[in-house]
Amino acid sequence: MLLLQQIINSVMLGSVYVTVAVAFTLTIGILNFLNFTIPTLFMLTGMTGWAIAYWGLPMGLSGPLPWPVALVIGILVAVLASLVVERFTFRYLKTRYGDSTEHAIPLVSSLGFLLVLENLVQIGYGNDSQRFPGPDADLTLNIGGLFVRIPQLVSLLVTVAIVVGLTLLLKRSRIGRGLRAIAENPDAANILGVDTARVVPVVFMLTGLLCGLAGALFAVNYGEVSPFMGEDIGTKAIAGMVIGGLGSIWGAVLGGLVVGLLEMMTVHFFGADTVQVVVWGALLLTLIAYPQGLFGHNSIGKGKL
Amino acid sequence: MSAAPLLSLNNVSKSFGGLQVISDVSFEVPAGVRMALIGPNGAGKTTIFNLISGVYIPDTGTVTFDGTDITSMPSRRRVGRGLARSFQNIRLMPHLSVVENIMLGQQSRASGLIDMTLPLGAGSRWRRDAEELLAHMGLGTFPGEVAATLPYGIRKKIEVVRALAASPKLLMLDEPAAGLNPAETANLRDFLKTISDTGTTILIVEHDMGLVRSLCDHAVVLNFGKKIYDGSTRHVQENPLVLEAYLGSRHAKDHDAEVHREATDA
Amino acid sequence: MSGYMSGILSILAINIIFAYGIFLAVATGQLNLGGAGFQAVGAYAAAYLTATFGLSVPLTLLFGVVLAGLVGVAIAFPILRTKGVYLVLATFAFAEVITGAILNSEELGGAMGISVPAYVDWYVPVIMAVCVIGFVFYVMSTRFGLAMRAIHDDEQVSDLMGVSIRGVKVVAFGIGAALAGLSGGLYAVSYSYVEVQSFNALLSIYVLLYVLLGGTQTAWGPLVGATFFTILPEVLRDALPALKTAVVGLFGDADNVAPPDESWRFVILGLMTILMMVIRPEGLVTRTMVENLQFWKKGATSARREVTEG
Repeated sequence: MLLLQQIINSVMLGSVYVTVAVAFTLTIGILNFLNFTIPTLFMLTGMTGWAIAYWGLPMGLSGPLPWPVALVIGILVAVLASLVVERFTFRYLKTRYGDSTEHAIPLVSSLGFLLVLENLVQIGYGNDSQRFPGPDADLTLNIGGLFVRIPQLVSLLVTVAIVVGLTLLLKRSRIGRGLRAIAENPDAANILGVDTARVVPVVFMLTGLLCGLAGALFAVNYGEVSPFMGEDIGTKAIAGMVIGGLGSIWGAVLGGLVVGLLEMMTVHFFGADTVQVVVWGALLLTLIAYPQGLFGHNSIGKGKL
Repeated sequence: MSAAPLLSLNNVSKSFGGLQVISDVSFEVPAGVRMALIGPNGAGKTTIFNLISGVYIPDTGTVTFDGTDITSMPSRRRVGRGLARSFQNIRLMPHLSVVENIMLGQQSRASGLIDMTLPLGAGSRWRRDAEELLAHMGLGTFPGEVAATLPYGIRKKIEVVRALAASPKLLMLDEPAAGLNPAETANLRDFLKTISDTGTTILIVEHDMGLVRSLCDHAVVLNFGKKIYDGSTRHVQENPLVLEAYLGSRHAKDHDAEVHREATDA
Repeated sequence: MSGYMSGILSILAINIIFAYGIFLAVATGQLNLGGAGFQAVGAYAAAYLTATFGLSVPLTLLFGVVLAGLVGVAIAFPILRTKGVYLVLATFAFAEVITGAILNSEELGGAMGISVPAYVDWYVPVIMAVCVIGFVFYVMSTRFGLAMRAIHDDEQVSDLMGVSIRGVKVVAFGIGAALAGLSGGLYAVSYSYVEVQSFNALLSIYVLLYVLLGGTQTAWGPLVGATFFTILPEVLRDALPALKTAVVGLFGDADNVAPPDESWRFVILGLMTILMMVIRPEGLVTRTMVENLQFWKKGATSARREVTEG
């Protein structure tokens, strides 16, 4: 029974990771781009959501707003920020020689955005943890002796909806076909009439949306936000993505859940301090021994050659 | 051709993902000759180069060079055996200067610990060597320039010189005249003849038949990954199979379509 | 010399050595995002050996260098099989595993850190930095350095030219790890204290950015990059408070927020990264620039045009 409860808890925990892992895997799978702004966008939603719910809009435009409104604005901020990132990591960049560090330019640029956004948030809002004025996170359902917290259940359902929706979008829609064509071969996609300049921003909008939703769910679930909330989630999401296989959405789902389980078990058996070693160790081992992960393709993320 | 050939391919085949790119190709390159490997686009010429230089390993068949079976020898060892090549699209190191690119070409002769750890400054033997080679080949004016900034024709020649810097026995050139104007091509031909006169064997992939005829005395023709001709360049254009392969690329397509239609009708 | 100046000189020298450690990997085309891990190995080796066995400073530094170098080579063999994004992630994960392991080791002080019963003055790191600069310039002038740059440009062609890709990559990565270890050891004995929290992921990011923004085509790049970003915050020290209040007033509550002083430095670093990647992704110092300066120094005619390179 205790074990079952642990598994339920880890699924709930994993579902937060899944959303962010899907954002990572989407950009890597389609654009071959490891986007380090993803954890920052997650944090941005949480912190701006908190600031608007606590202080109101900047420059005295309004007083404190109700938390759902604040979170919606927070998600919009993440989407907008993601679109700004698109400008500077893809639109304005051109590769010239195709040497081995050149393919990493967007990655380096995203590191720049990570620094700017994270530190601006700290300058604006301070670097303390803040209590998010959401609903009571401890509302609990008791199903035959097993406890499920309602906000967690909502998160899980939202995550499932996101993943299913995203899969349908990629499989069925015109945009989805364009995205998959770019993932296969960007040059060929261009020749086949896929308008890269219009399709690539969609990836970034989806990234912003996924991170924003995940950040909002996190704020509601844990009732606490901080400028550093993205770092831990980013770690776990990257691990989930790698274990699942780069570029595979269902891989990211499974990987996120595996990481959640791994974390629960590690805490249970070895204590909280060892989580970092175990999760990153699993990631390192996967990269070295089985880089394609559970569902990935060998070709993704290699860069040139 | 009584002497043992410098290079021989014996029944080499290669396929990629079920697509047969090279099927059962055999030919020999005798020492000291200037030989051409020709054929329509997609015939598999560059693949043959990649099989010889070790970028790919053949599925079946063997490659023998200078008396040694090199079929599965790692690609980086082959240049040390005397096998150097250039590339279809120029692949000079863009951030290295001209003379540094040439010094990179010397790598196979200088890979010992001492050569790796001595500086390649102004007085070093290897730099002098490289500069002399460049001057000898009429390229002495740009040693310090970064390769990426030079005009196309010059870079094409530098790539040939880089391959030469390995002091190869066999120099393999992949379309060295592509993109050159007639004057530059004539210049290149004389350049290659000079190299050949020093005893270096040349195997060249080229579309410019004028250059092929004036430079080479022997040609191997490929079509759809198969060898269709192996003989003198003088008679190559009289061969019906070669004529069909080249002139009839349109005819061939129609022919294919017809076969296809018949097959589906049946 | 004032304590303020000598403190800046120490950290500057340490950052320069650290940057060269990462540069050797990046110049070979391998983005090493695990710098903090290697620095931590050197720092903890020095700290632990001094604190526990009372070894002298030169000896502990040497141990730190050798250990970090060995760890670098040992990890390079499996890690360098990976490429692109995988390599970035693998080096990053490596650093996290190292710091995580230190955090869990009671022997190494865990979250408490170790205080180091040794202290060196500013001139020790500075002298070491000068030696490292000389060493890296020498390496880049050899055929080995040529092979490194060739691999960076085109791995396949380098292989066909006879360069041992694996060998050059592993050696460059290993020497780089050893230099990062040296910077860590110097850090430990300069500050007389190490704690694992200072070797975090952001540190790995900063040092990689110093190198990339400085430029990876010549050995001048990391020197310029590390110096610029170490000195910059000191220069801006007076201008920043005003800026800070302005931004806080715009977005937040100026009365209740006390932003960390370091933040501005990183905002500037981040902004410069974003802009540089758009305008000049090859970094501040390029080969052509260095060559033009040399020609200029030799008094060659000014007719030599500034070649617009990539």
